[in-house]
Amino acid sequence: MRRTRRATVAVLPVVALVLAACSSGGGDQGGAASADFTGTPSGTMNGWAFDNADDVGTARMDHAAGQLDGVTVKLDQTAFDAQKFTTRLAGGDVPDVVQMDRRYVTTYAAQGLILPLDECFTAHDVDPDTRWYPFVVDDVRYQDKVWAVPQFYQPPAILLNKRVMDAAGVTDEQIDTSKPDVLVGALTAMYKESGGVPTTLGFDPVATGQAGLWVLAMGGRLTDDAGKPTLDDPANTAGLDLLKKIADAQGGFAKVKSFTDAFDTFGDANQFVTDQVGAQVDAQWYPNVLSPYLDKVQLGAVPFKDKDGKPFTVTSGQAFVIPQGAKNPAAACAWALELTTLDAWKAAAEARSATLQKDGGLNTGLFTGSPEADKAIRDQYVVPTGNAGFDQVISTYYDVLGYGKTFGSSPAGQDIESELNNAVTATLLGDKSATEALADAQTAAQRAYDNVTAGS
Amino acid sequence: MTQIGAQPAAVADAAAQVSAARPRPRTRTRFHRREAVAGYLFISPWIVGFLVFTAGAMISSLVISFSHYNLATNVARPAGLSNYQGLLQDPRVATALGNTLFYALLAVPAEIVFALFLASLLNGVGRGAGVFRTLFYLPKMTPAVAAAAIFFLLLNGNSGAINQGLRVFGIEGPQWLVDPTWIKPSIVLMQLWAVSGTMVIFLAALKNVPRELYEVASLDGAGPVRRFVSITLPMISSAMFFNVIVLTIAAFQVFDSAYLLFWRDQSNASPEASLFYAVYLFQQAFRQFNFGFAAAMAWLLFVIIMIVTFVQMRFGNRLVYYESDR
Repeated sequence: MRRTRRATVAVLPVVALVLAACSSGGGDQGGAASADFTGTPSGTMNGWAFDNADDVGTARMDHAAGQLDGVTVKLDQTAFDAQKFTTRLAGGDVPDVVQMDRRYVTTYAAQGLILPLDECFTAHDVDPDTRWYPFVVDDVRYQDKVWAVPQFYQPPAILLNKRVMDAAGVTDEQIDTSKPDVLVGALTAMYKESGGVPTTLGFDPVATGQAGLWVLAMGGRLTDDAGKPTLDDPANTAGLDLLKKIADAQGGFAKVKSFTDAFDTFGDANQFVTDQVGAQVDAQWYPNVLSPYLDKVQLGAVPFKDKDGKPFTVTSGQAFVIPQGAKNPAAACAWALELTTLDAWKAAAEARSATLQKDGGLNTGLFTGSPEADKAIRDQYVVPTGNAGFDQVISTYYDVLGYGKTFGSSPAGQDIESELNNAVTATLLGDKSATEALADAQTAAQRAYDNVTAGS
Repeated sequence: MTQIGAQPAAVADAAAQVSAARPRPRTRTRFHRREAVAGYLFISPWIVGFLVFTAGAMISSLVISFSHYNLATNVARPAGLSNYQGLLQDPRVATALGNTLFYALLAVPAEIVFALFLASLLNGVGRGAGVFRTLFYLPKMTPAVAAAAIFFLLLNGNSGAINQGLRVFGIEGPQWLVDPTWIKPSIVLMQLWAVSGTMVIFLAALKNVPRELYEVASLDGAGPVRRFVSITLPMISSAMFFNVIVLTIAAFQVFDSAYLLFWRDQSNASPEASLFYAVYLFQQAFRQFNFGFAAAMAWLLFVIIMIVTFVQMRFGNRLVYYESDR
């Protein structure tokens, strides 16, 4: 009996090992490396991460479904999750198309987990650099291939709180990121504190959330052409040094960060209603949040400017990718492209217009990532709102669209962003000089880059 | 009053009948075997689950730790000991380990003291005890994401409730979530929010301490502190020992609170002070696809936890009073 028990104990790990071996890698990997995008789209297409589709998303999906009669679209509307994506691919449960943030795309491309879509574009006679802004495509371009169908491009600019500015005697021209001394003088005039704690920031630079914008605008670069991190480029220190000046003039980074963390950004007591900021870097979607409060705010906007005084902005947004091993790549390709046609965006704009008529609200346009669609929607649907300041805000965001630049497409893009933010924090807290902080960030980002590209 | 050791006549009769009906040895062996088989069948779902999802996964991760695993091709190239050597060469492994150890040293005593304090309060409640127990246990049921959102506001260095409270006493609180020095204490504070699991174990132990001991000690002139030190602590030492071991293991695996506050949103700062071992392991596996290295990290953590637990069992056990040992 004891011998049997011992044998059982000895056999158990072996059985477990066999079970583990059997359970790993059930996926049909690599089968779609030579995916055929030319066939007539048909069959069932499984999509994932299409969560929280609003009127714009629903209208586009309806439009795409109408164009692809032979395709049955099944959508998993749970949110994208990097861990779940990885384990789904490892387990062979591969969706045909996945919606994700563009900053993830190159990481998966470098791992060979998604398909390059150049043949998909060719099969459907789409020139990516014409359909989308070239710098939007640059977000998902890696090793001279385009790895995703991009959508949306909501550029950051500077929103102005005219009430605070007027009270301090500050003009729009003084909120100029290309003139640090003028900018710091203006924000100092608007800054107020009580008991050593800020009550009004002259200018919220969104130091960690928009660190890349500051570095690139001041002449720096985050990656080289191959996607390798270049955080220790000497030109990168200018952006961090300017951010430090801005933070130090308003009580220091720690207090500024804690103050902005407590903003009721989406609520009735948001930072513009309560005059907690004189000016703030915001992406294009934020004026939509403020539009119900136009009777309580006085808004304006100016472009973010680079060190030479030219308007400057950066790209971000989402994309559709087709994973390696997708069973119906032809349908996935056709469907993703149909979602981004001019007609699809027009359908979306019509749906948005109907929603606004029904629920009330102002149409600030859609920022699609496609110049043709942006222009068509602006021409047809963006009309004077009756609030001159808000019209100027909408116009400013449209005006900066052509000045975009990608952060750089890198397999270690997420780590580069994280490490840059850590360098900004260390510099602004005074723990390290900008040069030291960026050198440390480069070391960590380079290690991440080496890891991600080790198998490619 | 029933005398201990005095067997009632009915029980003696029943015992005699059972003895008379006792099966012969071979029948008894067959019965025991059938009983054992039935037992194994009953626990077989757990055994299968354990083999596939725990033992299987552990062995699989051990194999992966000696390889360079490529997810796209599903190929694991042998790597020898290079992943384990990499643990020594990557400075962030040491940083993450140091952060985790420091956190464990802060968190475990704080959680023990706070849980025991809450349990003592609950133990003293007469009417409405059930209501209070439920209220005290509710935080445990709060999702980690919701708790993180609450603590993000509570710990705000300018306007958070904690610093507002400190200001009442003339203390200028720290920038909990921005100043690297205060990041680990802020995560410990967040952990204290969900200490009610530990509290329940202490409460059960406190309920088991015989009242007579306190009565006798009081008659002998022992004050509350003396009664707590000389009676309560020894009598609940086994529960304390269990909680220390479980909390230590949990502290080494801390992930969600740090991840939610500092690492989930890449547009925010993720200071090195919040880089805990499990967070770095997750990054290596699912952001950098360094699965072999991540598996080696997991096994190093397993070994560290085993050693720490062994030391705790070896030396801590001497300080524990077990009633069954009397």
